Amino acid sequence: MIRYSLPDEPSIPAGGLPWHIMDYALQRDVLPAAVARGTGMPGDGSAPRQGALVSPQQCLQLLGNALREMDSADTSFMLGQQLLPGAAPGLSVALRHAGSLQQALELICRRSSRLLPLLRPRLHVGDGRLVLYWTDSHGAPGLRPALVEMHMTAVVALVRWLGGRRLPWRFCFNRARPRHIEQHEVHLGGELRFDCQLDAMLLDAEWLLQPWPVADAGAGATAQAAGDAGAAPSLLDALYDYLLAEVRRGPTLEGASAAFGVSPATLKRHLARYGSHFVAELDLVRTHVALYLFQSRRAGNEAVADYLGFHDAANFRRSFKRWTGLTPALLRAALAT
Amino acid sequence: MAAAFAVIACLLLYASAGQAKPAGAWRWMDIIAEGGMAAMAGLWFVMTLSSRPGGLVTRLLAGGLAAVMLGSWADCLDEFFRIDKAASWDNWLEALVPFGMLVLTAGIYYWRHEQFMLNDHLAKRERLFRQHRAFDRVTQLADAAYLRHQIRLEQERDPSGQCALVLLDIDGFHRINRAHGPREGDRVLQAVGHMLLLNLRNEDLLCRYAGDRFALLLPGMGGADARVLAQHLCQMVSMMRHHGPQGPLQVSLRFVSEAARGDAETLLARLSAAIDSAHLALAPAAP
Repeated sequence: MIRYSLPDEPSIPAGGLPWHIMDYALQRDVLPAAVARGTGMPGDGSAPRQGALVSPQQCLQLLGNALREMDSADTSFMLGQQLLPGAAPGLSVALRHAGSLQQALELICRRSSRLLPLLRPRLHVGDGRLVLYWTDSHGAPGLRPALVEMHMTAVVALVRWLGGRRLPWRFCFNRARPRHIEQHEVHLGGELRFDCQLDAMLLDAEWLLQPWPVADAGAGATAQAAGDAGAAPSLLDALYDYLLAEVRRGPTLEGASAAFGVSPATLKRHLARYGSHFVAELDLVRTHVALYLFQSRRAGNEAVADYLGFHDAANFRRSFKRWTGLTPALLRAALAT
Repeated sequence: MAAAFAVIACLLLYASAGQAKPAGAWRWMDIIAEGGMAAMAGLWFVMTLSSRPGGLVTRLLAGGLAAVMLGSWADCLDEFFRIDKAASWDNWLEALVPFGMLVLTAGIYYWRHEQFMLNDHLAKRERLFRQHRAFDRVTQLADAAYLRHQIRLEQERDPSGQCALVLLDIDGFHRINRAHGPREGDRVLQAVGHMLLLNLRNEDLLCRYAGDRFALLLPGMGGADARVLAQHLCQMVSMMRHHGPQGPLQVSLRFVSEAARGDAETLLARLSAAIDSAHLALAPAAP
């Protein structure tokens, strides 16, 4: 049975990401009470007590409050700048001593529920490059652009700090071109693309294994000592993983609910709390798989339709248009430019 | 506090010394006009005190408005209470209105002086017009949207003239932030901003593009002059001694420059990418 957690279950240590957000707001002279409202954090701006936990919902509320109170285009980027290595004991030390980009990214992805509890990084390496793309852990469509900016900045800043240089990342955003483009240029880099179907950062794979100056022989051991993920992933993350594994076998609501050990009605109700439903999650996974096949395998409609279990290419073409608003041909043309 | 006390004292004075008029004799037009005047002057008084820093100008403006408010309040109370014709103190109270206006006028006169000095001070940050939302809170410099707007204005104003755009970036700013915290980072940004401002002409515009990147718009300046100026600015900043909590911090800048032609957004994106690769070229030398 697959383990999962729901958005109102306290699972995020208040001294981690929530205090990071709060502390930054305090430095910007924002009234602590306005930022802490509805989040379970102390309203007087004092640090949370040891061991206190905050639910993902409260953490998202905190981020929303902070963005609203500071009302500045650079808030999400500045929050990202020092988000990593984070405050989790053991884990942040392990991350600081990562010997290469690959070690760092693998550690971040493996322990993302502790390091980056709001947005899930997913690493894919193949065809001479790495793709780090981001999926929503707790369903916050209104905060999604800010979350993406914050998390991409976090990874770029960490890699730049540990590796000692800025890497030539390329960025794709699943959004229209924003007005505050200058923040992207300065905090991320100049290679920016908007109106993509995916929030992703790309890099040539040659950078993965280059040793980093701070490398430490004991890094691998420390990373292991940091232990494996104890907390259950959010339902959206767990469902995404399940659907990705099952995508060729035509996953259904019934099959998924059996795998999660709940009734279909309960799974539906849980998903509704994220503002989502089963088919939307399945379509998201199928879109990502189709994008991957188009992009790296140069696959045609027939091949992708066959891979995803569609009867014919026309059927797939129609579905793809429904998922993304673009036909596969248009999308391939956009990818080629 | 004192103003609220005076308003109540005035009411008590009239209530005790005067004789209440019957409700039928109240003249509503006068009450609304004089009461409204008192209420508005009171509101302006509060707004002035809450929005301006203390000082002579604020004292004069607030004092004048308080006097106008009390005078019109006395005038308004006149409508409710009959005062003996022989008494002159109520006339003195009402005379507070012209007296207050006199004080207010003096306040506005000094305000004008103050504003001229501020304008002088802000000239390099604002250039052609003022738009208070476009300012960055940390450095008090204009932001990127304002810069793009100014580039367009400059191109329209003088389409064939020379105009240079320089981007300046602090070396290893992220390391300062990591080592000393973002508060210290903000102080470095402020110090660098001040240093740059001190070395500019009045018609130049300094903006905080984003993060640790500053932009400089130099109307009427050619490419070679702009590079000389930018080099000078980098030298000035590297000679600056910034004192952090853990001793002095070395701050250095690098720059790229280009003529401010073509679409502002593409121009800035190109320069921004150029300053990034300038960093890449230097990186292997770093420890």
